[in-house]
Amino acid sequence: MDFSFLTYKPVLVGLHLGFAIVGIDAFLWLAGEFLAGTFGKLRVKTAAVIGVLGFALSWLVGGYYYVVYYGKLVKPVIKAGVAPWSHAIFMETKEHIFLFVVPLAVTALLLAFLKKEEIKEYNLSGLAKTLAILVALLGLLIGAMGYMVSAAARWGQ
Amino acid sequence: MGKVKLIYSSAVAAIVSITFTVAITICGELFIPLKNWLTDFSGHHWTSKSIFSVLIYFAAWGLLYFYSGSVSAKTVRKSLISLVVFSVAGILAILLFFTAHYFTIF
Repeated sequence: MDFSFLTYKPVLVGLHLGFAIVGIDAFLWLAGEFLAGTFGKLRVKTAAVIGVLGFALSWLVGGYYYVVYYGKLVKPVIKAGVAPWSHAIFMETKEHIFLFVVPLAVTALLLAFLKKEEIKEYNLSGLAKTLAILVALLGLLIGAMGYMVSAAARWGQ
Repeated sequence: MGKVKLIYSSAVAAIVSITFTVAITICGELFIPLKNWLTDFSGHHWTSKSIFSVLIYFAAWGLLYFYSGSVSAKTVRKSLISLVVFSVAGILAILLFFTAHYFTIF
């Protein structure tokens, strides 16, 4: 079977966004479980694993698109358009803060594997909630920046 | 204790990786030969930063896990609080730097 369609630009953008949404939703789910005081259950671990995989796949697919297509095809359009600042500020910020996501998400994943008694013994409940919410918010922030960059590319054409 | 030590090691390794990413990004913009070297390393400066940030994270995680002693509850909490603070500071540092860079303040 021919999988070359996976390297088509719209497919790559869709997969990048889709995996990111999976990551964000899974971390919102994880944050909800932590806020409800649920620790160490299978569904908590499942949410964390799905979240880390979603963000990691989004990073790989988005990175491929960014390196192969964005610089050659999209960046020149934005820089010549009405909102060149969207690349200079938001794309530059987005591409670099994305590198924070996986180490943060993996740390939150490890917290999801602690039993309720361990969370209580080490007094980690509040920090587990904070970290899960931070990862979800970081994903949403990156998504908002991506939206601005896409909008600038559309206006620039 | 093993799982808690893994969390402590991962949190500190993430801080090291985030600090590296912020530093290499800002230094690369201000010192073009560094950005050129990053580009030459893998074909794209961002790919090189991605590779180094991941390698640094996993190397620091392994080193901290195997070479740090026992970890107290206070130490784990401190490492996670520091991770949250460094993450927010890193996001703000990169956003403010590129904003200032665009307006040619830097």
